[in-house]
Amino acid sequence: MRDDATSTDRRDRDERWRDLMRSAQGGNSFAYARLLEEVTPVIRGLVRRRWHSPNDVEDIVQDILLSVHLVRHTYDSARPFGPWLGTIAKRRIADFARKMASRRANETTVAAMPETFPLDEPKTEQDISDDQGEVRRALAALSPPQRQAIELMKLQGLSLEEASMRTGKSVSALKVTVHRAMKAMRRILE
Amino acid sequence: MTTRRSMHTDDLIKALSASAPAVSPLRSPHARTATWFAISLIYAALVVVVAGPRPDLVVKLAEPKFVIEVAAALLTSMLAAAAAFCAGCPGRPLWERFAPLPALALWLGSLGTGCWQSWMRAGPDGLSLAPDLICFPSILLVSIVPGLLILAMVRRGAPIAPVTTTMLAALASAALGAAALRLFHTQDASVMVLVWQFGSVMLLTLVGALLGRSLLRWPQEGALE
Repeated sequence: MRDDATSTDRRDRDERWRDLMRSAQGGNSFAYARLLEEVTPVIRGLVRRRWHSPNDVEDIVQDILLSVHLVRHTYDSARPFGPWLGTIAKRRIADFARKMASRRANETTVAAMPETFPLDEPKTEQDISDDQGEVRRALAALSPPQRQAIELMKLQGLSLEEASMRTGKSVSALKVTVHRAMKAMRRILE
Repeated sequence: MTTRRSMHTDDLIKALSASAPAVSPLRSPHARTATWFAISLIYAALVVVVAGPRPDLVVKLAEPKFVIEVAAALLTSMLAAAAAFCAGCPGRPLWERFAPLPALALWLGSLGTGCWQSWMRAGPDGLSLAPDLICFPSILLVSIVPGLLILAMVRRGAPIAPVTTTMLAALASAALGAAALRLFHTQDASVMVLVWQFGSVMLLTLVGALLGRSLLRWPQEGALE
């Protein structure tokens, strides 16, 4: 990992992190907290160098910290800590990029979202309320798995992968469920 | 995910360190390779015994070409397993993932040499191909148990290279299956072995690669609670 530290500082730091991780693997939560606190700015620096949207930086940093936590048993204290951390960080940045790309593929970009068709009269409060009621009724008519899929992916905006992790269903099964749910809702609304 | 997004990173660190019981570090890739290979070899030997060793096995074991071919398949299996275990340990050098290539080349080379010798001896007839449909299911049968075992073992690692890891794990299992098949299936025409046996190994390796992202994922965040 590149930062301003000299190579000796970096070596000392790596040894300190190695010791802290060894203690953390043994269940020492103070050592673990200190390690995570020390590595977070380094991870943040790495993410900033590789990711151009500042809004996502903290999300990615948190993803990396969580991943470090979940696979901390894979660290071998006979090996340097930096490459272990760096590999996880770079992997998770790549995963985040893939997730963003798949989310973008499911979105449609328009210059301005039309609220009504130009020739239609503007919607009244009553129309909007009626529409919402209709959608709510159509949603209620769905089977529980279909409703859950619509809620997660169309209302909460989760990606297929995230919804799959949340529900434990495969991505392809979710695709089919959403497709059928949308078809059913369209039929009800017509 | 939404709960974490609303969380400040400092709070996440506190939550993580508060829920971090002691973990047993993963054993080294070499130790895990030794365990996997020993168990899988015993299983493959049992399958050979149950299926019945080929009648000319003793004679074949005295032929250098046969021994080199089987040894290369076994070496490919062992090195592919080691590479799969290494691929699940972050920070290890990338070259380790290519470790089975020399053994794979030796195996392919020995089969290629056999094909060349058949061509020199009998011309195009020496390379005639007939269906040998028992190869694929036999290799699958031998490799399924080692395959499930290595999958369970690589899932303990970090999914930093899921496609490569499952591809190597599938290669390890299928190569062992092919080596065992040579000991109980009487088929020595190099071109037949190349197409039906080596081909089956390549097919299973490809299937392993395709399943990588589904089989090896980052643990769910719910694992924290």
